[in-house]
Amino acid sequence: MPNLLDRMLHLDRRWIFLLVFLCVIFPIVIPIGLPVTTTASTRASFDYIESLKPGDIVWISFDYGPSSAPENDPMAEAVMRQCAIKKLPFVVSALYPLGGLGLANNAVAKIAHEYPDLKYGVDYVNIGYKDGAAAVMRRLGDDIAGAFPTDVNGTPLSQIPMMRGLRSIRQVKLVFTIATGIIGEWWITQVHSQVGTPVIIGPTAVSAPKYYAYLNAGQLIGMLGGMKGAAEYESLLRQRYPQLARFYMTTRDFTATKGMDGQTVLHTVILVLILLGNIAFLTTRSRPKAEA
Amino acid sequence: MIPHPPEIGVWIAAFLTLACLSFLYKDNPFFRFAESLFAGVSLGYYVGITLNQTLEPNLFEPLRDFKTNWDLLVPGVLGVVLYMRYVPKVGWISRYALAIFVTYYIGVEFTRKIHGEVLPQLARTILPISKPDQASLVSLVFVIGVFSVLVYFFFSREQGGIMKRISRLGIWFLMISFGAAFGFTVMGRVALLIGRLNFLILDWIYPTLGI
Repeated sequence: MPNLLDRMLHLDRRWIFLLVFLCVIFPIVIPIGLPVTTTASTRASFDYIESLKPGDIVWISFDYGPSSAPENDPMAEAVMRQCAIKKLPFVVSALYPLGGLGLANNAVAKIAHEYPDLKYGVDYVNIGYKDGAAAVMRRLGDDIAGAFPTDVNGTPLSQIPMMRGLRSIRQVKLVFTIATGIIGEWWITQVHSQVGTPVIIGPTAVSAPKYYAYLNAGQLIGMLGGMKGAAEYESLLRQRYPQLARFYMTTRDFTATKGMDGQTVLHTVILVLILLGNIAFLTTRSRPKAEA
Repeated sequence: MIPHPPEIGVWIAAFLTLACLSFLYKDNPFFRFAESLFAGVSLGYYVGITLNQTLEPNLFEPLRDFKTNWDLLVPGVLGVVLYMRYVPKVGWISRYALAIFVTYYIGVEFTRKIHGEVLPQLARTILPISKPDQASLVSLVFVIGVFSVLVYFFFSREQGGIMKRISRLGIWFLMISFGAAFGFTVMGRVALLIGRLNFLILDWIYPTLGI
């Protein structure tokens, strides 16, 4: 037994990497379908969008890059599907320099393919990327066309039907920012605090803890924290709109709900490893005393 | 439906993913290649997107109507002036542009911090305890936490006696918050691994095997 504990303490960490690898692969190949419980902040986000009326404009900002796409992509797609079903026109923008626009384009193309009835310029607009997020947000309060003179294709906003009457972000009923880093904070402090537009945030799990301060201060309608938040939103969406199950029950596409299988398995293994490591450490530390 | 075999882009992405993951075994030339390629492509992408999405629609295109938009020359010149630092003889000029940018952002940030963070969060943290309910009790815990953490970071005098005890309490609050942040960080990093392995299996291996 002491020999086993010693070996455990000096285990080559690459064996742990291999174990982590297997724990994640297993639920991808054979999905387990573990239940996802929802939290108040996700339910508040979902209920708020549900309360909007057809024609209310939602601003969806892609403020993340490919490095956090597995967490953030499902959030963006879920909210865009909800907007499409509820006939809420949505404006898509990107303020994150490294890949935000590419992810926005991919997500818009995917939703446009799923809902062929959606008309570009009437039901949704992609106004592209702009550098200097803080300054852009400052401008959005007064003059959207000043910050984004054209859409992603180079068409002036004045020629896009949906954007003609939309001069300020004040007229938007909700900003949904899917954010990594500080850009999410700017939407709260620069747009919500200065202009009053309600904000929902979908941060990466790493950023989520800091947003609880804004959530508790009532500066956010709700929050989807990391992959868990995205899975919760998918779960609420499936319950409310059973027709969307076709997107979430397939075994061939990645969804946050399926990702949570791997999260659960791996977190269980991590907890067991922490427990074993501590037992081994405490046992070997007390051994000389026992021997003495 | 027969799945399409993966395209060349998927093969490249799969190779680069495996090259990155190979670092977990040990450092190797494939990892170094992927790392350098990523840094180079990221920079190139950033330059390209700034040219096409920011400078072209916001500066070059409006300047074609020079009579109306001549004032855009000012930020344009300020941007160019920033690069003067690479010419040692006239490098000092770039400081003027930098000073204007710094001043602008101080102005923006000042309002943002006070109105967007300090005041609203202070107002919701310090609730009256004259009518004790769950919210005010939670608020009391927050106030004690904030105060004790601030005491911990007060280095202007040696901490002893009551200060030391309050500071110890602050450490506990800090540890709890670090623990919560660490838990979220683990979840975030695992999510990235899940995303990559999903890509390898669903977009590369399955289509290659015709599954």
